[in-house]
Amino acid sequence: MTPRILVVDDDPALAEMIGIVLRADEFEPHFCSDGSAALDAFHNSSPDLVLLDLMLPGMDGLEVCRAIRAESGVPIIMLTAKGDTVDVVKGLESGADDYVVKPFNPKELVARIRTRLRPATEPTNDVLAVGDLRVDVAAHEVRRGETAIPLTPLEFELLLALASKPQQVFTREMLLEQVWGYHYKADTRLVNVHVQRLRAKVEHDPDNPRIVTTVRGVGYRAGSSA
Amino acid sequence: MTSPRLALPGATVRRLAVVGRRLSHVWRSSLELRTVALTVVLAGVGASIIAASISVSIGANLFDQRRDQVQSESLRATLLAQSIFDSATATEDADQVELDSLQNEAQSAILGSTSSPGGTRIAILRTPGQTTARTIQNIASPDFPADVITSDLRRQVAADTGSLALQSVSLASTSGGAAPGIAVGSTLQVPTAGQYELYLVYDLGDAEATLALMQRTLAIGSIALVALIALITYAVVRLVVAPVRVAAETSQKIAAGHLEERIPEKGEDVVATLGRSFNGMADAMQRQISQLAELSRVQQRFVSDVSHELRTPLTTIRLAGDVLYDQREGFSPSAARTTELLHTQVDRFELLLADLLEISRFDAGAVELELERITLVRLVEDGVAEYEPLAAETGSEIEIVARGGYFETEVDARRVRRIFRNLLGNAIEHGEGRPITVEVDSDPDSVAIAVHDHGVGMTEADAERVFDRFWRADPSRRRTIGGTGLGLAISLEDAVLHGGRIDVWSRPGEGSRFVMTLPRVVGRPVDSWPLPIRPEGLS
Repeated sequence: MTPRILVVDDDPALAEMIGIVLRADEFEPHFCSDGSAALDAFHNSSPDLVLLDLMLPGMDGLEVCRAIRAESGVPIIMLTAKGDTVDVVKGLESGADDYVVKPFNPKELVARIRTRLRPATEPTNDVLAVGDLRVDVAAHEVRRGETAIPLTPLEFELLLALASKPQQVFTREMLLEQVWGYHYKADTRLVNVHVQRLRAKVEHDPDNPRIVTTVRGVGYRAGSSA
Repeated sequence: MTSPRLALPGATVRRLAVVGRRLSHVWRSSLELRTVALTVVLAGVGASIIAASISVSIGANLFDQRRDQVQSESLRATLLAQSIFDSATATEDADQVELDSLQNEAQSAILGSTSSPGGTRIAILRTPGQTTARTIQNIASPDFPADVITSDLRRQVAADTGSLALQSVSLASTSGGAAPGIAVGSTLQVPTAGQYELYLVYDLGDAEATLALMQRTLAIGSIALVALIALITYAVVRLVVAPVRVAAETSQKIAAGHLEERIPEKGEDVVATLGRSFNGMADAMQRQISQLAELSRVQQRFVSDVSHELRTPLTTIRLAGDVLYDQREGFSPSAARTTELLHTQVDRFELLLADLLEISRFDAGAVELELERITLVRLVEDGVAEYEPLAAETGSEIEIVARGGYFETEVDARRVRRIFRNLLGNAIEHGEGRPITVEVDSDPDSVAIAVHDHGVGMTEADAERVFDRFWRADPSRRRTIGGTGLGLAISLEDAVLHGGRIDVWSRPGEGSRFVMTLPRVVGRPVDSWPLPIRPEGLS
């Protein structure tokens, strides 16, 4: 089955060119050029992944991002023309999983998309325990007691990566490679922002984390660092 | 310094020192206090001089006047007494009884003729050493101070008949103190009884009391005058200083960023003019500053817009070029080469655009450090590993000498990494395949990375311009990395943003050495160099 990609970009030439690249790599592109129509387009095409330009007419890219995130965990990759750090962080905080800075090349774009669409880590029947959470790998589900905690696929993978090796401290670079598929130096803020988002969902007190703890100067690990 | 030389406890000395410092601070900081103090001192000196001279001249006047009065009175009394004695002898042959009654008559006549206040005391004494037919008794008023008539005076009176002898004396006053007085002596010729001396003693206490009263009045008046002058000075100084103080406070507020602060403008005088000029200046400054802020905002906005507007079509070109590039094998040779050129030049264009945008962000002041803790040595090792393939192409070997920098430093890792890559890239490019040394070291205040190649080097003049934008030492030089000409300019901005610096040493044919020095605490200026700018072993 060809994965469907929703391309939300107001520049018709770029959208068409992205379409050509995506088709060449056997994706099925859908297009939307207006921020205010983006949510409808999302409902109509029910894509497997969204490519979202941050600067849009109608509705701001960040708002579109939040609106989609409010109802779905579908992977979102921002296309940002800005190298400005503030915008990247804002985008990530609005729920984007990753970002690609314009101008990007086709391989980079396709690699980013494939990482986000790849089948989750080898399906096993394991159920891992982190603190008072149970991570059901096969069901892609995290539960605290009887309550299921809804995580996006990215957040689930982040938690799973940490939980599968509770003894290990993960540096941000290791997480970037394992969860985001970056094999070279990338923006460690991706990790920082998503750890914050993950904590907001799974921790009792996000300011005093017990599930995903920070190891100062190194990175993160699952469970208490004691 | 505060060792108590006096036999005072240390705490007291310290407290005194504190009080002294506070006083001296008040003295230095209060224009009012200084002005008033100066005025009081000068006015006080002036008033004292005036009061003293008035007092002296009035005192002298009073004394002279009294002496003249005393003199004329005494003269009159002497003449009166003499005439009483003379008239008696002219009419009758005086006998003892008559003489006594004459003496009493003379005494009461004298007392009656004097009009000096404070009472006059009288004595009639027989000049010693005479033998006459009769004598009259020495008489004196009951309170006559006999001790003030000195023998000197008596000799002088007896010798110089017919004139008055005056002498200032000190009288015991009723209150127990001493009062000034004048003793006047003259001679009387009593028929048949010989020469007698008439002494009149005048009390000048009243004159002294007058003088004292006047001096008191003068003193009180002077003090009141000085106080009044001090008060007036204070009021005037306040009147002048207050607006100056307001101006000082207002300019402080403006300097602190409250650009809308102004001085109230009242009246037409010089102070009001000061206020108006000040406000005019503040207006002009505020206009300029808000204009600059607006320009800066527009510039940032422009950078952001250009960023978006240029990058979107560039992305399309990039995607199109890459798609073509991937299919170039199916093209004719010239079309294939065209796609290759398109591909590489789009890359170059992209780099150039990125650097330009970065530079304009610096120019707009729209850059911020994103601090994280990193180990400098690790950053260098990563960077060297990244560039090793490129160095291998040119034949340069990269050696890392890390004497320090193993601790975590808080820097903007992205920028520091960019600086290092830039320096290392340049070293490889201009290193002529000779070894390259990368040094890392630190001291208590700074951390430093040096990149030293032994390649072509530069002249001193070239080395000075190496951080200029788009400047190239040798335009014909072959480039393997394809820099934009902005790399070092951006590196320098990155270093300066940390409060650090990049220094360069270079000699033609010997190579170049770039030393990046960053403060351990971002923003503190660098004033120590963990790594020397000049290569070691060179004079």
